[in-house]
Amino acid sequence: MRLLPGLALWAVALAMAWLLPGHLWHPAQPPPFPMHALLPAVLALLAMTALPPLLVFLIGPSLARKRTLSALEAPPDLVWALLLLALWPAMAGPPGWTAWIAVLLAASVPGETRWLASALPVEMPFPRAWGPAATRASRFQSLRRLVPRWLAARLPLWLTASLVAERVLGLPGLGSDWMARVGGRDHAGLAAWILGFSLLWLAARPLERAAA
Amino acid sequence: MKGEGHEQFIAQALTGDALVGLSAENRPVPRLAASWKVVPGGLDFTLRSDARFTDGSPVTAADVIWTLQAIEADPQASPTKRAALGDLKASGEGLRVRLRGSRPVARLLLELWRVPIAKAGHGDMGSGPFALQRSGTDWTFTARPGHFLHPQVPGLHFRLLPDEAGRLLALRKGWLTIGVPPPQPGLTPPSGMTEIVQPTLAQLIVWAGPGSTPGTLRSLAKWRAEAFPPALMGRAYAPAKGLWPMALGFREMEPAPGPEPCPAALELAYTAGDGVLERQLQALAVRAARDGVTLKLRPLEAGLFLDQLTKGRLALGVITNVFDPDPWSVLGYMEPGGDLNFTGWIDAGTPPLLAELGDPKSPAWKELQALWARHPAALPLLDLHSVVWVDRRLEIKPCALGIYLATPGAAGWRWRE
Repeated sequence: MRLLPGLALWAVALAMAWLLPGHLWHPAQPPPFPMHALLPAVLALLAMTALPPLLVFLIGPSLARKRTLSALEAPPDLVWALLLLALWPAMAGPPGWTAWIAVLLAASVPGETRWLASALPVEMPFPRAWGPAATRASRFQSLRRLVPRWLAARLPLWLTASLVAERVLGLPGLGSDWMARVGGRDHAGLAAWILGFSLLWLAARPLERAAA
Repeated sequence: MKGEGHEQFIAQALTGDALVGLSAENRPVPRLAASWKVVPGGLDFTLRSDARFTDGSPVTAADVIWTLQAIEADPQASPTKRAALGDLKASGEGLRVRLRGSRPVARLLLELWRVPIAKAGHGDMGSGPFALQRSGTDWTFTARPGHFLHPQVPGLHFRLLPDEAGRLLALRKGWLTIGVPPPQPGLTPPSGMTEIVQPTLAQLIVWAGPGSTPGTLRSLAKWRAEAFPPALMGRAYAPAKGLWPMALGFREMEPAPGPEPCPAALELAYTAGDGVLERQLQALAVRAARDGVTLKLRPLEAGLFLDQLTKGRLALGVITNVFDPDPWSVLGYMEPGGDLNFTGWIDAGTPPLLAELGDPKSPAWKELQALWARHPAALPLLDLHSVVWVDRRLEIKPCALGIYLATPGAAGWRWRE
């Protein structure tokens, strides 16, 4: 019963994608799904999802006050990209996606780590007084509740960042596949995207309940 | 078969061979056909004996017949190819191909370059000078050494860089051999590159819908000459003159004068998201305001824009069109169901004239243009040129079809010693 309003919304989105009005001057084949972008996208997402929680779990809420983290967090995100472009030897050709994922991580991980570390409850005097095992258990429980919400808040931002990388730098990505399918009036392809998102939403429901 | 759009035609020109190609001067030249003979009702071709598909099998009349029949039979096939073929019927055996149809032979020869021949039963296998390997958005074309056009460069690698700033960066870093710079005035190529400006047959055209008055296009014709300041345009654009592309040999002719005034308020729809186009149309609106006319600009998503335009719901709509390099390409404006006849334009005087257009130099063209000038449905605003930056060491011959589509096209490029 609790799922019904959400499912109804997804059904409306599906119907809108299927019935998208308009047509093309010269009908074109729908673009092939960017399968080649899946691996870099999944790797980047895994790294972004795993690194900050892992660091916070290992170091604890004191990480939010560490000067080294501040030093890494202080430069604007674009500085890392500019540094790569400035220092990368032009003779070697354009930097590949592994280099750009490293830039993305350098720009994002410190900020994300601080966000998570600041949100953890204080550990002094308890659970620190009860020993390392209790401290780890407390951190684990807190992160279990924090991480799904953190991901939900940050995913749209990362998707936008990937869109910029795709359009400006010609890197493989999934973001502009949407636009290509809207532009090409690929009703079936758009509906498949909506269906995929709705399944993700359904799969995330148990996480949401656990966090509540 | 189904591929449509500029990129598709480039890929097909590299990986496939049409019976006839177009030279850099827009003349029909032999490609898959070694020679042809004009006969009553059509053309007889003799195919080259050394043409081979990528699997090594020779190109024969059976492949030509299969390709043409497959395009005719498939309603989903490329509309440009279907339009280029018309009612053409193919027959023949061995290396002899007979094409028969109602089209004038001169027109047919100029339009056949659009239809590369595929191996019978394998719509995606061509006999062109390059073989394609695709990896996502990266397309690699490798030269086929035995091909009759003798490609001089080892291959081409295409990278999709949609953003203009990103493209400029890659060009300046030396990461591209050939690239299209952003359409900004004052940009100069980096030291290792040279600029090629090709006058193309592309135009930015405004269509007047069923509700607009004849005075509207007359006013637009007046404004277009002074609306676009050079600082806005760069080398890729020039104000258009006349009614039809003058590069096709048409004389300069404006919409015929008349008593109808231009309405005080106009609404001009265009495809949203193109910043350059937006600035150009704003300049047009400023010029219209000097004549006391409010030109309201209305951006629409591409698919919706076309939907509204073809249903006659737009008073004025702007779109870019690339004409084929033959005078018959303007007939799309006036033929019933023509690919440019968005507004259902019709005139009782056209059918007898259409029958007299067998020759590009026929006097009927002048009469047809005068007839169109009396109540045109469309007017070009800007002529678009293709500006590309090319590595200085690469020898490329510019042409109106762009650097890839002519014959020999990329197969004729070579690295300077």
